[in-house]
Amino acid sequence: MTYKVTEEGNISTVFLNGEIDMDVIEQAKEVILPLIDAGKEVHLNLKDVSYMDSSGISVLIESHQKALELNSKVVVKEVSKSVLKVIMMAKLEQILNLE
Amino acid sequence: MDISESKDFIVSTSSLKEVRMFSREVFEKINIPQEQKDELVLAIAEAAQNIVKHGYKGIENTTDKMQIKISLNNNELEIGFFDKGKEVVPGNVQHRKLDDIKPGGLGTFFIKQIMDAAVFKKDQKGWVNHLVLSKKI
Repeated sequence: MTYKVTEEGNISTVFLNGEIDMDVIEQAKEVILPLIDAGKEVHLNLKDVSYMDSSGISVLIESHQKALELNSKVVVKEVSKSVLKVIMMAKLEQILNLE
Repeated sequence: MDISESKDFIVSTSSLKEVRMFSREVFEKINIPQEQKDELVLAIAEAAQNIVKHGYKGIENTTDKMQIKISLNNNELEIGFFDKGKEVVPGNVQHRKLDDIKPGGLGTFFIKQIMDAAVFKKDQKGWVNHLVLSKKI
């Protein structure tokens, strides 16, 4: 997994790339969670994520819930078809902020 | 087309990518839709992840191996997982309720969604656990 972060005002956009599994979730959390802690609205761009398993889904849930606790939000954007299928299998499409 | 291929992997999160690669290579030989192949790879990866995460909980840097065997016989796909981790009590293997939204607990749910059956067998030789996932394809 690789990533890139861009900033625009109070919005941080994290572009994730590659496959997100248990082996890389700590790395993903180390990028995403501090941005939420800093009060940023975080946009996760998943257009280049080709694979995500239940560990990756856990990162999305944890990020979403942490943002809610801090009265902020995480928006999941440009979800690739394969990842959307996993999100839907977990019945999270109505829970996560998908754009 | 009948298939029977197996491969050993070090029990480690760093092996999960290798597990997916092996699975994809095997499924390349089977004429089923790509979407179904992706689902099967996910189920295999989740089962392998469960071995690393639960079977070897608290054990780091093990040199133990797990074995994955993919067999196809008369359109009956069977995927075997052999490991030497903690003995699994099948009744304790449960996924969380979907409406209890929290991180974790989805891997087993995905496996059950994708596969027709997931059964722990007691026929392993030299292994502690033998999980068999099966699906008619």
